[in-house]
Amino acid sequence: MDIRFEQAEARFEGRTVLHPLTLSLTERRIGVIGLNGSGKTTFARMINGLVLPAAGKVSVGGFDTSKDGDRVRALAGFIFQNPQNQIVLPVLKEDIALGLSTRKLSKTEKQEAVSGILARFGIGRLADRRVHELSGGELQLAALASVLVTRPDVLIMDEPTNQLDLKNRGLVEKTIHGLEENIIVISHDLDLIGGFDRVLCFHEGRLAADGPPGDVIARYREIAA
Amino acid sequence: MKSLHVEGDTFLHRLPAGLKLAGLAAVSLLLFLLHSPLLLAFAAVAGIGLYAMLGLGWRNSWQRLRVILLTIVVVSVFTLVINSPVDAAAVFFRLIALFLFAATITATTSTGDFIAVVTTAAKPLEKTGLITASDIGLAIGLVIRFLPEVLDRYQAIRDAHHARGLKPKPLTLAVPLIILTLRNADEIAAAIDARGIRSQK
Ligand SMILES: Nc1ncnc2c1ncn2[C@@H]1O[C@H](COP(=O)(O)OP(=O)(O)OP(=O)(O)O)[C@@H](O)[C@H]1O
Ligand SMILES: [Mg+2]
Repeated sequence: MDIRFEQAEARFEGRTVLHPLTLSLTERRIGVIGLNGSGKTTFARMINGLVLPAAGKVSVGGFDTSKDGDRVRALAGFIFQNPQNQIVLPVLKEDIALGLSTRKLSKTEKQEAVSGILARFGIGRLADRRVHELSGGELQLAALASVLVTRPDVLIMDEPTNQLDLKNRGLVEKTIHGLEENIIVISHDLDLIGGFDRVLCFHEGRLAADGPPGDVIARYREIAA
Repeated sequence: MKSLHVEGDTFLHRLPAGLKLAGLAAVSLLLFLLHSPLLLAFAAVAGIGLYAMLGLGWRNSWQRLRVILLTIVVVSVFTLVINSPVDAAAVFFRLIALFLFAATITATTSTGDFIAVVTTAAKPLEKTGLITASDIGLAIGLVIRFLPEVLDRYQAIRDAHHARGLKPKPLTLAVPLIILTLRNADEIAAAIDARGIRSQK
């Protein structure tokens, strides 16, 4: 997986939120940290084309996010800061099947894919539950299943553990560590990204540090102090 | 909010959803064409038999149905007072039959199947070039999915008023509710894009 930013800049209503940024992401596990409002979510949304660069270019696997949005989104799965808003049908297994709706699969193949992914995250028992009734931890795992069922090359997660209690946080962290997919994780949970291959730290819309977790987390602590 | 759908694998669950919904439409029409209390009573008994096939038991069934059954009783009593006993009996049995048929169909059809039927039924509308049939199906799914959340939010806003000793007024309830709902709608739309649910037109 190759994600490239070439002088890519993000603006909202004329205000620059992410200053021109050039980098290439190829590591399997990448963490993103920074203070509130530093531009992490904007950066992540640029990767899958939900935010398009006002200047410069972003590409994923060679596809330009501004031109080939659908292709890019098939490659890059996204878990939102609020997982309850990304599960759009009332019953979990129906929602997960919906993600496969644009694929040419038979009904049985779809059912197998759905039960397979639920089993993988140990939430088979939630298949027939109303999404509205799920707890925060269950929702986070459900969101993971709903995105990974389409087999994206890279999974972007926006603060996957920040609304969870200690037990569910542990469960979701363990699940994230067990993922074999390429992942990009935005988090305020420094333990979670401590073992990652590379960490980016944003500050006021600029990349303030980039490298192995130890160095970047140290820089983040200076910024926050 | 209680789910209307009942999990199971009865004969009714296995019937194609399109057939069930078309059948329900035909039966409803017939019920309004009939006026004989006797025939309508037969229909009501058939409705009871059909609903019983769900195997929910008396208690559970009563819990699910009581609000509407009581409404039907009230409507029938009014008809009795205003019109005749014959009219009242016809209204009573017609509504009972209608309601039980509809409740059975809802209980045995999953939202996914329901959406699929609506999408198929809406296909001819695509010719107008104004809409996509799958969007109509998705829209229905979204309403069923998010209605309880909107109601929760309404409760939360009302509780927030009480907690601060404010008297809830329509305006102060509606404005935050609309803003929160719209903000959610933005996120939901982004999620639908991100998941590629509508990608291939
Ligand atoms: N849709 C938008 N319209 C206008 N401004 C926005 C929008 N999205 C983000 N911003 C602004 O861009 C800046 C960066 O926001 P972003 O959400 O990327 O930060 P973040 O690092 O993810 O913060 P947090 O840790 O709080 O999630 C903020 O000043 C925010 O107000
Ligand atoms: Mg954010």
